[in-house]
Amino acid sequence: MIFLVGLNHRCAGVDVREKFALTNVADFEKSLLDACPLREVMALSTCNRVEILVVADADRCAGIDLPEAVLRHWAETCAGPLSTLREHTYRHTSLDAVTHLFCVAASLDSMVMGEPQILGQLKTSYRKAVETGTARVIINRLLHKSFSVAKRVRTETGIASSAVSISYAAVELAKKIFGELSGKTAMLVGAGEMAELAATHLLASGIEKLYITNRTFSRAQELAKTMHGEAILFEGMVEQLRDVDIVISSTGSPTAIIRAKDIREVLKKRRNRAMFFIDIAVPRDIDPDVNALDNVYLYDIDDLKEVVEENMSARQGEAVKARAIVEVETQAFATWLKSLALQPTITDLLGRAEDVASRELAKTLKRLGEVDDQTRLALEVLVASVSRKLLHEPICFLKRRTREEGSAERFIDMTRRIFNLDADAVIEDAHLDRRTVDDDTAENDALDCECCRDDALLSRSSLEFQADPPEQPNQTGLPNQPSQTGQK
Amino acid sequence: MALPELLPILVIALYFLGTVLFVVGSALRNEFLKNTALGLAALGFALHTLDLAQFLAGAEAARNLTAGRFLFCLLGWGILFIFLLLWWRLKLKFLAVVAMPLALVLYITANATVGVNTKLPPMLSGLFFFLHIGTLFSSMALLAMAFGAGLAFLHLEKRIKAKAGLKQFQKDMPSLDTFDRVNHFVALCGFPLYTLGLASGYVWAWLSARRVFSLDPKEIVALIVLGLYAYLFHQRLAMGWRGRKPAIMAICVFLLTVISMLGINFLVPTTFHGFKP
Repeated sequence: MIFLVGLNHRCAGVDVREKFALTNVADFEKSLLDACPLREVMALSTCNRVEILVVADADRCAGIDLPEAVLRHWAETCAGPLSTLREHTYRHTSLDAVTHLFCVAASLDSMVMGEPQILGQLKTSYRKAVETGTARVIINRLLHKSFSVAKRVRTETGIASSAVSISYAAVELAKKIFGELSGKTAMLVGAGEMAELAATHLLASGIEKLYITNRTFSRAQELAKTMHGEAILFEGMVEQLRDVDIVISSTGSPTAIIRAKDIREVLKKRRNRAMFFIDIAVPRDIDPDVNALDNVYLYDIDDLKEVVEENMSARQGEAVKARAIVEVETQAFATWLKSLALQPTITDLLGRAEDVASRELAKTLKRLGEVDDQTRLALEVLVASVSRKLLHEPICFLKRRTREEGSAERFIDMTRRIFNLDADAVIEDAHLDRRTVDDDTAENDALDCECCRDDALLSRSSLEFQADPPEQPNQTGLPNQPSQTGQK
Repeated sequence: MALPELLPILVIALYFLGTVLFVVGSALRNEFLKNTALGLAALGFALHTLDLAQFLAGAEAARNLTAGRFLFCLLGWGILFIFLLLWWRLKLKFLAVVAMPLALVLYITANATVGVNTKLPPMLSGLFFFLHIGTLFSSMALLAMAFGAGLAFLHLEKRIKAKAGLKQFQKDMPSLDTFDRVNHFVALCGFPLYTLGLASGYVWAWLSARRVFSLDPKEIVALIVLGLYAYLFHQRLAMGWRGRKPAIMAICVFLLTVISMLGINFLVPTTFHGFKP
């Protein structure tokens, strides 16, 4: 049974998210495994969301409200009230959980739809879970699948090309004003999630320098460290503006902190070089009269929202497309999940053997030419019994394992992969991350873990097993394509 | 000779096709069409250059220098040349919208004024030709580019200030900053050229007629243009003007030069510059 509990920016405010963040909690997965009767756990915690993905044995925990138990442990870990957590979290079970995870990975659930950071965060969380040993067969498969879903969504839809967001709009506007953003400087006045996000996007588009100022200087320094900016004193802010092209403001000040009068002076000092102000604060931080000055452009949160909404309608179609991909992949995952039972695997295994046997028999008979019925019958019996006897021991082994606690799915999954019972196409660059050491791009984020190496070894041994003749090992070291298996 | 007779028609056809394709390409946001259009224009430009060279190579080169056809031809050529220069330096494809129709119109005008020929003393040739006509035409070509960039700047700025939304901004329209840089370039190069052109004109007037200023309408307008140009130059470079004001200024100056070039030369009686048949 798969289920997922979590909270995100939609259902929980910043204070709740801060309270229940698991970013700084060491070994949450392990402690959760100890506290509840679960099989696999993975937790993802970012500034916008916390997701706890759990796999449990359905029969082992009948009668226990597992999501509730997970929530309780979570609340205890963060020393927060359980009632608040219950109120702000969502729960998804089985395929809903799968769909949700795919949506998260594909950034369909993000505040900035289509932003790529979430995938990296998910990969990091997954790697952590693998290292602590709390992710096994199902989470392995589920997460690998979610990475490929994310990739499909990114390449097949236009969702990532222009993220629907206020920060995206801000960056686009800045590009319309300044052209290239490289060499420009920005300033973040006050803190706030949206402002930080906008600053991150600006940095990603090539802003050269970021100044950060805050009424509390220590907070500015803290932010400066995480965003690689430079903290400056709040009192020196207006003075500093002469070197700043883009200002993002989001303080809690009840009155305007940047006035047209000041900006007129600043403009003189910077010889009228254009300035772009983004005012995210409510009430506003920047005097609206600033927009009337030449070479100064001011957008407040409502202006940006309008810009975004216009954009949004045009891109709804892309989101629909992306959700369709998620839907298809969820169904594929459901099929795989069902096949993890013992009986279908034995059937598939025997079917595969029979298939190979009959094909080989047909070839041999063709080569032999005319044979009498007796010989023919003998040959048929021969190939059938060889294939059945060969599979006898593996099947007994699988049956024994299923009687044990917890390991059945792992072995069934492995068997299915060794014999390629799901006819998964193994693409050319599959597991490239495990084979090359120097390839350290975000795309091929190496998922270097114990189990993966095992998998790689397994696929290699299965390859040698299949290679025909054995004196000529596959030069590429790649697992054989499924189509090749039948031809040999 | 077939080629010289065919040449103007070829150039006109190429410019016309280029202009139409570019406008269509801009409307459809089709990069291929736009690049094809630019290719056609470049081919036209090459033939145009050939046409000019033919003029200069002829036996009557000195007389041809002052022929109306040659002058218009040269102005159109100069505008395209400046456009190609800006395209190369600032990656500014957008200004083709201004440069190509202008080159087309000027080239057609040139061929329409075949019969027009000013009576100028042979003194205005060689050095003076380049000092007076070359410099003035280059600065006018520059102004034409600033005119287009200025209009685009004002349009885009209005949209941004009015918060008209991202969707409405043409995706392939360059940024405000790029348009402003065109203006800067024009002020920086155009004003010295214009000043040189005017000064050489006065020197020549003094040499030929022993008087510098003759209250000629052409000269009055030229002085006004020089004043405005100087103001633009000063405000831009010394006072740090940017954006809207210099854009408007450049548009005004260009319109004034057009009036002076077409209106006065053709319609008003003037001492040296009359193209009136």
